Amino acid sequence: MAENASLYPVIAERLSRSEIFRELTQDDLVAIAEFCWEENHHEGEALRVEGDPADRMYIIERGRIALEKRVQLGRHSTPRNATVGYVGPGKAAGFSTLTHKQTYSTSAVCVEPTRVIAVDGQSLRDYLQTHPDAGVKVMTTLADMISDRYRHAIDTLTYFLSIVSHELRSPLAAVENYLNTIIGGFVGDLNAKQERMIQRCILRVTDLRAQIGDVVDLARMRGEQIQADFEWFDPGEAGSESIEDIRMAAAEKNICIRVEPPQTFEPIVGARRRIRQVLTNLLNNAIRYSPEGSSVTFRARYEPDALIFQVEDEGPGIPPEDLPHIFKDFFRASNIQDTTGMGLGLSIAKKIIEAHRGQILVENLDSDVEGRTGACFTVIIPRDLMTPEMRRREWAAEDN
Amino acid sequence: MNPETYILIVDDDPDVLEGILAILESQPYRLATARDGMKCMEMVAEEVPDLLILDLLMPRMDGWGVIREMRSEPRYASVPIMVLTTVVEDASRRRYELETGMAMDVQEYVEKPVRPDELLRRVERLLAGHG
Repeated sequence: MAENASLYPVIAERLSRSEIFRELTQDDLVAIAEFCWEENHHEGEALRVEGDPADRMYIIERGRIALEKRVQLGRHSTPRNATVGYVGPGKAAGFSTLTHKQTYSTSAVCVEPTRVIAVDGQSLRDYLQTHPDAGVKVMTTLADMISDRYRHAIDTLTYFLSIVSHELRSPLAAVENYLNTIIGGFVGDLNAKQERMIQRCILRVTDLRAQIGDVVDLARMRGEQIQADFEWFDPGEAGSESIEDIRMAAAEKNICIRVEPPQTFEPIVGARRRIRQVLTNLLNNAIRYSPEGSSVTFRARYEPDALIFQVEDEGPGIPPEDLPHIFKDFFRASNIQDTTGMGLGLSIAKKIIEAHRGQILVENLDSDVEGRTGACFTVIIPRDLMTPEMRRREWAAEDN
Repeated sequence: MNPETYILIVDDDPDVLEGILAILESQPYRLATARDGMKCMEMVAEEVPDLLILDLLMPRMDGWGVIREMRSEPRYASVPIMVLTTVVEDASRRRYELETGMAMDVQEYVEKPVRPDELLRRVERLLAGHG
């Protein structure tokens, strides 16, 4: 706390220059100054750590602090800190102290030698509760600040996605193009070892491109967007294309894809490209978790009101405790250690199928029966979906 | 196959251009490249290609601009166009329709990267259809 009462007006004057307190009266500022103190920090020093109890707020007077968020993709990757913003003179950091839960939502690290006024959180909350005029002013300013930060976060995300989708995919496509040209023998012969290495490069790059696609997709995977692309299509064709998508990955592990189609494929309504994506995701998943030389079964059949696809593998199955979480974003089952991927494929598949008012289910094969393990994914797509055009016509008919 | 078949490839990425050239050079085509839409239109004005392989996101004039110009000039209107891009097809078609009010009149839409055999097959099909 400020030790000398004679300093209160000086601190009050300094507080009045801050964004969060600038609307307060002189009396309020002097009262708040009683539970404030000055702190000086070196470059690189952490003011506070994400997740800790938010017991003080900081008004930056000089220097700059970086707000950092802990980020961990998947279960096994090393957590890292990502800078989500900077706070400079006149601004406040640590206003989680005024919002519920009162734990810091980010860490704050000084990127320059920094001078701050620290405000005791509990005393500030008590003061604002007993002085509602001041409380309303501070909370109104706080709401503006949070809303600004939220807008900034959305802008950053949108920018990030546009960069990811084009700037990262383009160089990858160029690399893949070169690799395919080399492996195709268009620029001379390869020895067996070179050929094998290039094959591996292609597989890894293809994987990386799919993962980038997944991240972008997840962010824009909204039901109405998917439904806008509904059209009549041949699900047999979508299935064949999915098999083509995973052909190389299957060959790499010497996995046999057993196809059990219905007698004839009848057209259905759906988002063709998205359904292909679901099937490719499920097949890729099955191949990823299957032992070398095993089989993956891909079957399709019609029920009166639905088309049903199933993908069955001979892998280890999914631990029962993981089954309820398998379709969550970034989830990877606990019994897999060394397979790549971020765990987005299944959550994307679920979002796509839900946009089709369908269902995606998973079960482990019963190892007592036939003595084998594996997982079976079932996709159910209703047969009464309508294209946007059909819906428009129906509405027009209703209006008449 | 007509050895005088002339294909113009337009992409701002020199690595993509080199890769595509390496594949197409396996066939007796006459090939030329441009790095942006303006240069592409200059070259088309000099000699109308039998096939245009076109990227979309490019400096100066983008691929959608090239399609618009090609389709509004009777001399070029029937040149088959193969779009070869990282832009997803649905999004791309929507953008073109919003900007021009017309459907995007291209004969092939291929998302990068394309496998060499696939590229050759599609090029051959387009040229056959055109002839």
